[in-house]
Amino acid sequence: MSTTLSYTLVITGAPWASQAPQSALAVARELIQANHRIDRVFLYGEGIHLASALSTPPSDERNWPREWSEFLAEHSIPAVACVASALRRGLVNDAEQARYELPASNLRAPFEIAGLGEWVEGTMKSDRVLYFHGSI
Amino acid sequence: MSTLIVVDQAPYGSWAGREALDMTLSLAAFDQPAALLFIGAGVNWLRQQQAPEGIGQKSLEKNLSAAPIFGVETIMASASDCQRYGLTDANTLAGVVTVDDTKAAMAGYEQVAFAG
Repeated sequence: MSTTLSYTLVITGAPWASQAPQSALAVARELIQANHRIDRVFLYGEGIHLASALSTPPSDERNWPREWSEFLAEHSIPAVACVASALRRGLVNDAEQARYELPASNLRAPFEIAGLGEWVEGTMKSDRVLYFHGSI
Repeated sequence: MSTLIVVDQAPYGSWAGREALDMTLSLAAFDQPAALLFIGAGVNWLRQQQAPEGIGQKSLEKNLSAAPIFGVETIMASASDCQRYGLTDANTLAGVVTVDDTKAAMAGYEQVAFAG
């Protein structure tokens, strides 16, 4: 009998600049397939670009932000972009748009914006924390 | 749950190390045991008299000096990498512990994460 584990996935590499979001999605799909649980996906640093609603790759290329969104929604997995990383790089939700009086918001559902505390909670509560980095 | 954050990239060239420091401080803010290990070019974080004003960046030296105040228990550096980059007691931030065996240092923590 196999043991069910809970996971937090941390993605720090951006789509198209790195393979991190793609690798993380492949692992996430296998985890669900094997009846493990994903507590949360946490986007940090360059990884926050995965949560942009505006990414528009050519139609014959894989759309990693959309594929991730669909996967998260299908399995009701919470996903959070770090607020400090996001604001620096121009990823904002409606609340941050209002707070900083910005001309637009661009956070893709079902991603949310929150603090590093969400990652800390993952390190405390999940059985495993996996990191998907960009190029080093 | 004790966590070791490993920084292996030189300061200022990217935000990855700076964001790794934020992760470490965040753990400490939630009363989670946290430590830093600098290896490879990352040991240059620990150099005294950093002067990043010329490239329009804030000093990491200041942030790092504050880490113990915020509850980051240990700051370690690879002894051989310090030697390679010319870091000695005379030009290294106070309170840094040099380690000969980084593998053994990592083994002392339940979780180890690298800066992105």
